[in-house]
Amino acid sequence: MGRSTSRQFRFGRAQLEARDGESLLAALARRGWPSLVRSVRYHRPRGPMCGVGDCTGCLVRVNGVPNQRACRRPVREGDQVLTENSWPSPRHDLFGIADLLLPHGLDTVHGLRRPAFLTGTYQRAVRRLAGYGHAPDPPASATAAEPHRREAEVLVVGAGRSGRASAEALVRAGLRPLLLERRADAVPVDGAETLAGTTASMLAPPAGGTDRFSLLGFDLDGAGVVVRARSVVVATGGYDAGLLFEGSDRPGVVTGDLALSGVGLPLGPSVIVGSGERARTVVERLGKDAAAVVAFGDIGPELVRTAAELEVPLYPRSRVVRAVGRGRVRALEVARRDGAGRFRLACSAVVLAHRRLPNDQLLFQAGAARSWRDTPGAYFPEVDRRGRTGVARLFAVGSAARPAGSAAPSADELADAVRGQETTLAPSPPELGGRPGELLAYYRELLRERRRGKWVLCPCEDVLLEEVERAVERGFRGLEVVKRYTGVGTGLCQGRYCLPEAIVALAILEGRPPTEVGFITQRPPLVPTPLSALAAVAGEFATELPP
Amino acid sequence: MTFARRDYRAVVVGAGIIGLYTAYHLARRGAGPVLVVDRGFLSSGGSGRNGGGVRQQWETRGTIRLAREAVAAYRRFGRDFGTNVWFRQGGYLFLAEGPAELERLARVHEVVRSEGLPSQLLTAEQVAERVPGIAPGSVVGGSFLASDGTVYPFPAVWGLYEAVRALGVEVVLGVSALGVRAEQGRVQGVETSAGPAGAPTVVNAAGGWSAEFSRACGLEVPNVATRHEILATEPMKPFLDPMVVRASDGLYFSQTMRGELVGGLTVPHEPGTRRGVPSSPRFVTAMARALVGLLPRLRGLGVLRAWAGFYDDSPDGLPVIGEDPRLGGFVHANGFGGHGFMLAPSASERVARAVLAEPVDLDPKEFSPARFLGSGAAPSRERLQLG
Repeated sequence: MGRSTSRQFRFGRAQLEARDGESLLAALARRGWPSLVRSVRYHRPRGPMCGVGDCTGCLVRVNGVPNQRACRRPVREGDQVLTENSWPSPRHDLFGIADLLLPHGLDTVHGLRRPAFLTGTYQRAVRRLAGYGHAPDPPASATAAEPHRREAEVLVVGAGRSGRASAEALVRAGLRPLLLERRADAVPVDGAETLAGTTASMLAPPAGGTDRFSLLGFDLDGAGVVVRARSVVVATGGYDAGLLFEGSDRPGVVTGDLALSGVGLPLGPSVIVGSGERARTVVERLGKDAAAVVAFGDIGPELVRTAAELEVPLYPRSRVVRAVGRGRVRALEVARRDGAGRFRLACSAVVLAHRRLPNDQLLFQAGAARSWRDTPGAYFPEVDRRGRTGVARLFAVGSAARPAGSAAPSADELADAVRGQETTLAPSPPELGGRPGELLAYYRELLRERRRGKWVLCPCEDVLLEEVERAVERGFRGLEVVKRYTGVGTGLCQGRYCLPEAIVALAILEGRPPTEVGFITQRPPLVPTPLSALAAVAGEFATELPP
Repeated sequence: MTFARRDYRAVVVGAGIIGLYTAYHLARRGAGPVLVVDRGFLSSGGSGRNGGGVRQQWETRGTIRLAREAVAAYRRFGRDFGTNVWFRQGGYLFLAEGPAELERLARVHEVVRSEGLPSQLLTAEQVAERVPGIAPGSVVGGSFLASDGTVYPFPAVWGLYEAVRALGVEVVLGVSALGVRAEQGRVQGVETSAGPAGAPTVVNAAGGWSAEFSRACGLEVPNVATRHEILATEPMKPFLDPMVVRASDGLYFSQTMRGELVGGLTVPHEPGTRRGVPSSPRFVTAMARALVGLLPRLRGLGVLRAWAGFYDDSPDGLPVIGEDPRLGGFVHANGFGGHGFMLAPSASERVARAVLAEPVDLDPKEFSPARFLGSGAAPSRERLQLG
């Protein structure tokens, strides 16, 4: 590699170098495990968890702008990178005392209401605990990046396997789709226009006399993107869900997405949680770093084979109890479900690959319906065999549309449906294996555990399971109310890593089925979207009527 | 049977801030059994969708007086009701972009001062001190009242919900009020989706749904539900103390206790469009443009989420409080025009008095439902319908 392909940037006082196109997190990870963040309320140590730009484990301040995800931001020459929310450093943070002083968390709803003369001081202290970074610095220049505007007959969101296959089939069917992809390194599809490095954040159904969907997004430079499209195919894929246990917010507890991403985080010996294809892929990728596999139920035959080849021990019918360690995880405590005892597996990472959930929020924004599936214990969009959603000209394919392992529509069938004018949704019964309600059983067993430390249900906002329990005890029931009562699901990840867990935990605490607890349609935008990107396209919508 | 009793002293329609506060005042006065019904969950309407502003700067004296009492009530809310509403008196700062607006603010300022509140007129430089990073030349001045502030709306609803239930009020959620049963021009009870409930009084505190309920009871009212949207940015460490309001376009924003910048903007929406609460690209982008224009430093800051809710607007911008002259026992507590939270503690106390047929110290020209029934034009008008 020549000198011209490297980038110089500053991290605190250190002058560092990154490869061309490398993300900040990848560049920092080459120096060892990156400790970048303390949590928002209790200043608990946190580490990168998802590697795909959703969690709060790698937030940094870049060139005076707070809360940038190091995993998504390519290094630019001369970047000034600072850590946030800790002093003197994320590794040794004096504010971490908050975690020790408040073993059961801070009850902001009921805490310290008198004496009156102290409440002002208390209020100021609580106010300072909020937020990750400081307000942005005044901008060096006022020039805004030019927004991108596109019109398309068909928009395909996501250039993963399903998105590409759909785009190719649409091209074969004589259409010229526009392919939108969040990653910068998307490979173009012949006959389709590709917009790489573009994050979709809002999808509005046709409104105010137009027949076009409106998609709002932004590119890697923070420039606004508006796409008007007659039909939309959502192929945004899936993500590996979180899991609640004691210490599940500890640095080193990561999802399969991060383990499989190109970030190159030094995970070291890792315990993989999961029993299916996703866990198998992680084991294969980690190779000699795969230290053990823990699964709540039985382990799939393919994973058994791969593990045998790599000599990775398997612990089926076992439950994760807690991640042990003060900073980064040192071991995972596991309980045999048959009561045959507990043991610790030494490790420096825990990889969650037990449950893959759909990136389906764009679909719900545009009005698609959803229904609960006991396996894998989550809501999924209602999509038929041809990718139709019930909203006219809105389609979904791949993992965004259905649970792993269930039949996917063929790309050609989808292309037919897009070309045709059919709008009715043919009901498609779930075709799933597995044991229903396994996740409910996991949480039922977990909630019987004696609690020693904080169980952080929502890592973005440091919401503890205890707070949810208090809410339910006081008679506040249902996800909508408990979300507002505790703040669960209102953080930067838009609830991706806590709402699916909260639904199941609430169902148990309230003693009713998950479907009665309710669900929440995440409020747009899907991901934090720069004000400048939105401001730049305001003229596009100035006369539009509401949906 | 969904309801614990067959007959109540009063049925309150709407478990928002107005309905719950009314139930509280009724219970405190020993009114007898009170039932509150709401079609949604707690905070599903305007009480859970507002920006949390509480101000005392108004054009009309009656409203200033109600607002002053409300500020005092929010100051002691934690002690009274057991939940922290995080009432933070960072002040309300109205911005003027030109001399005409400054003049208008000066007129309001005179009224507010004559009511004994120490509001100040600020120069552009003084505004810049309170709004760090405001674009140079964007304002010519402003008006400011330090004792105005913001609350965190949800805990107010929770605290009241717990308090009224402790006082014996029955609150039933997920039940819609469908109409009233009336005989000889007097309310006899309420019809609901869960069956009838008898009561000589019904309080219409249904917020954005109040006109619908009045009409379902055969009462034509001029209230209009209008859709307003709000967005919240990523949380930051505290940098902005006051609620900032711009008179020209209704832009308002404040930094909450959680560090998020929360605010809205008046985007004209046709009344009567779909009742949904998803946010529109039109609002989100217009709000972003307004924010970035006023505070260029926010450019790179992320918008975290956006939502919508409904104002219940009356024609003259003043709430409708009191018994409807056309139907005995039908008491209005609506038309707050997006300011229900600001006035709830004090306005609801008057509603309770109206229910109990006690004298109410409100100017009927400003607040009575009768003002829309007469022939002449309403003499009073509140035009500071912002934030």
